[in-house]
Amino acid sequence: MTASLTGRTSREGATADRRPRRGEGTSLRDLVIALPWIAPALLLILGVVIFPAGVMFYNSTRDISQSGVDRGPAGFENFQSLLDFAPIWGVLARTLVWVVVVVVLTVLISLALAQLLDKAFPGRQLVRMAVIIPWAASVVMTTLVVYYGLDPFYGIINEVLVNVGVIETPYGWTKNAPSAFAWSIAIAVFVSLPFTTYTILAGLQTVPAEVLEAARMDGAGRTRTYFSVILPQLRSALAVAILINIINVFNSLPILKVMTGSIPGYEADTIMTLIFKYIQTDHRIDVASALSVVGFVIVLAIVAVYVRVVRPMREV
Amino acid sequence: MTTARARRYTADQVPLRSVILRMVVGLLVLLFFVAPYVVMLVSSLKSKREILRVPPTFLPEEWHPENYVTMWSTPETPLVQNLISTIIIAVCATLLVLAVALPAAYYTARFRFPGRMVFLFLVIVTQMLQPAVLTSGLFREFQFLGISDTWFAMILINAAFNLSFAVWIMHSFFAGVPKEVDEAAQLDGAGKWTVLTRINLPLVWPGIVTAIVFTFVSCWNEFAASLVILSTAGNQPLSVALTKFVGQYATSWHYVFGVSIVAIIPVVILFMLIEKRLVGGLTAGSVK
Amino acid sequence: MKRSLRFGAVIATAAVASMTLASCGFGNAGGGSDGDTTIDLLVPSYSDGTQALWEKVIDGFEDENPGITVNLEVQSWDNLNDVVTTKVQGGKAPDIMNGGPFAGFAADGLLYPAEDVVSPDTLADFQKSFADNASVDGVQYGLPLIASARTLFVNNALLEQAGVTTPPTTWDELLDAATKVSDLGGGVYGYGLPLGSEEAQAESAIWFYGGGGGFGDEKEITIDTPENLAAAKFIQKMVDAGATQPDAGATDRTPLIDVFVQGKIGMIEALPPTVAQIEKDNPDLDYSLVPIPTKDGEPFTLGVADHMMAFDNGKDKQEAITAFMDYLFSTDVYVDWVTTEKFLPTTVSGGEALADDEALAPFLEALPNAAFYPSTNPNWSATDGAFKSLVGQLAQGKDAKAVLAEIQAKSDEG
Repeated sequence: MTASLTGRTSREGATADRRPRRGEGTSLRDLVIALPWIAPALLLILGVVIFPAGVMFYNSTRDISQSGVDRGPAGFENFQSLLDFAPIWGVLARTLVWVVVVVVLTVLISLALAQLLDKAFPGRQLVRMAVIIPWAASVVMTTLVVYYGLDPFYGIINEVLVNVGVIETPYGWTKNAPSAFAWSIAIAVFVSLPFTTYTILAGLQTVPAEVLEAARMDGAGRTRTYFSVILPQLRSALAVAILINIINVFNSLPILKVMTGSIPGYEADTIMTLIFKYIQTDHRIDVASALSVVGFVIVLAIVAVYVRVVRPMREV
Repeated sequence: MTTARARRYTADQVPLRSVILRMVVGLLVLLFFVAPYVVMLVSSLKSKREILRVPPTFLPEEWHPENYVTMWSTPETPLVQNLISTIIIAVCATLLVLAVALPAAYYTARFRFPGRMVFLFLVIVTQMLQPAVLTSGLFREFQFLGISDTWFAMILINAAFNLSFAVWIMHSFFAGVPKEVDEAAQLDGAGKWTVLTRINLPLVWPGIVTAIVFTFVSCWNEFAASLVILSTAGNQPLSVALTKFVGQYATSWHYVFGVSIVAIIPVVILFMLIEKRLVGGLTAGSVK
Repeated sequence: MKRSLRFGAVIATAAVASMTLASCGFGNAGGGSDGDTTIDLLVPSYSDGTQALWEKVIDGFEDENPGITVNLEVQSWDNLNDVVTTKVQGGKAPDIMNGGPFAGFAADGLLYPAEDVVSPDTLADFQKSFADNASVDGVQYGLPLIASARTLFVNNALLEQAGVTTPPTTWDELLDAATKVSDLGGGVYGYGLPLGSEEAQAESAIWFYGGGGGFGDEKEITIDTPENLAAAKFIQKMVDAGATQPDAGATDRTPLIDVFVQGKIGMIEALPPTVAQIEKDNPDLDYSLVPIPTKDGEPFTLGVADHMMAFDNGKDKQEAITAFMDYLFSTDVYVDWVTTEKFLPTTVSGGEALADDEALAPFLEALPNAAFYPSTNPNWSATDGAFKSLVGQLAQGKDAKAVLAEIQAKSDEG
């Protein structure tokens, strides 16, 4: 029996659909058999990720000096300092806004882009290549070039805006919290577009032609077809893409750090940039660790809720 | 030629007007996506004085293509060694991820065992933990193991943090292959390993390619952990070397952009080679 | 069977080969033969040439001291603190470090006292004001390496154009002159005010000390004082009058100095290396160096020193460290180092050797009236950070008293 990946409309026999035989896969023996397959991965994860994570949790309850010397247990003092830190609520709110706006914009634009790239037209290949570039470039490099362009003195974006007449004198986009934050959102969307677009594109290509035909036969207009037929098919591709985007955007640091790094105060910070400020400027590793723990718990909660509600792992 | 192609499209009942529209939109999209990198390229060819000129110039008044030659021997950083370090770390980490994630993804997709969900959960958790917040613990650990400031350490780190994504992609791919295929092969007397390599691998190859490229790019651009673990200048990857041009008294933007271009081009080429496969590779798990 | 085995073998071999290859690295910290002592040296980069400069020093040192190897690690100022605190946390502090604040390390008991790591002759060679500034509780821990001072750089052409005949000496004169220059328009601004995170504490110090206030001393950091409030309010007055460049709170010093060098700013407080920068990038600039304007015209400058410090890692490297420090501070080596980086010398012998340097003269002259950061106070590091992240808010219109209170609070937290 041959199997091919193209044009399948049913997935008989995939693991999730198959009813396990009673007692199958639940014995110790099964675990032992599994070990050689998963052991290297387990080792790597435990060794390189879990241990430092443990250190991070540990540090959040210690009193660590400016030079990095552990001065003893601090209980929940570090967390208390976070609560006492007035701007923290703004930071939390801003983090939420950051994640929601970036992910929503990315998804909406990606859906449109994928539609375009799915249709045939001369030069499509070139456009597809172009869409890949932000993915290939490191986020820092892309952000640096935009930051350079926005500088009020030597930035060419300002120059263009002044020449075209949109603004009168060069504006310090990266020197003021609201504008810097807005531009950061734009960059974050820009660098997230390639991955999301391609994921949706892949999903689009699995929409069976017959279903589209049937919809057309039934007299559905383009919009109807899109919303009732295509979008549901994209559901799982979209679900996975959104989850990955949420996690990456939440943990994103370079964009905000470069774009808002020169702004005093905390009006443009998210949890990640605040952690970094605690480490680099205030040298408070203990409080930074506490905030990292908070951030981790939040993202864990978001993912848990998301997985519950959306069930992107349904096929798993 | 364009008209002929357009005619071909219109033969499929797509009006010429639509095709033209798509081309225009496509062109705008292309310009939008390419713009920052064109700026990067053009700026990298300016002299140090011109790049900080107030007000700025768009095209360089004098072109300095020799920047791409001089950057290799600047005092700030041994760029050749940085490039080699980046390549070695990225390639080796990707190989390691491949070697480790492949069996794990295959087995968890195919078979049940106690702790399977726990394992998968662990994998997801690592996606949520980034090297940036774990630098302190990472440094301490590798100090203790005595391999700090080696490529080996960064390879392990990169592999571990990219494992989750690779496992996930490959897992969904394996899950999409019908069980009957396996069973047929097993009936013919093939063991698990053979089934994996001779039967499944060819089918899930696009997913593997995707995972490889993702991992490679991620390792290529890794910064936070590399900064702390690799202290000898020559061992540092391009991402860290880039920061050396941002000095206390002046930023050599032209070198910053030049190094960026050098770092971006290999990856872009890589992506372009696999672009066709990429679309197929992302079909993982989205097939009903 | 064979094919799959081969595939598996290929992967495994590739993995193993890469591991072996990877356990090497370029110039790995390997130490020499038995009996060799290795010193780990961690330094920041001041300029393009810092790395080469240190390598030169190390080569000369290793030649004279064959049993000692020095491992050099260069980081940018941004990353320096991150790196050293991570190292300290991991129990792998460097042996010698070049940095700014050291009092925190001293307070944690991590450093050798200076007298343990230099010969008495070298120790006596440091100028007294710098040596005092490098001591905590009377014990000197830092070895002042380079010193810097500030003075006002004035663009003569712009001032003339704006109708300002003499450079300002008081705050009110400064406000007047700067406003006139800004009124010229065309992207030109009167006074460059860098309150961005790079060196906000330096600019603030110039204003606070210049107004009769200051940051405090070894015992106590005092930011929230009436004199400082007056200074902070004057800064806001300058910003509101349009006498400074826009977004002063987020503008860093380095790019701003560069704008001055290109002739777009009337006046700015800058440092010794700026003279060389102008020479290189815009030699036609018509400028002069004048004393810093203070509230009532009293002479003043901000003295800044960076130090070498030696970490006591319990490995008995005292002798090797002492040898290195003595070599570094020996007159020829030291003068070469200081002049290459275009800073001021901290040793008496260095000062004598450079007495004729024209470019340094205005700074050297101002030094006797220098005030220093209270860097020997253990809370200085936190204060430094607080200024960098918060004082810019003054230029954003936030209430001056509130900003000072914020900074004071952060400083007290340590």
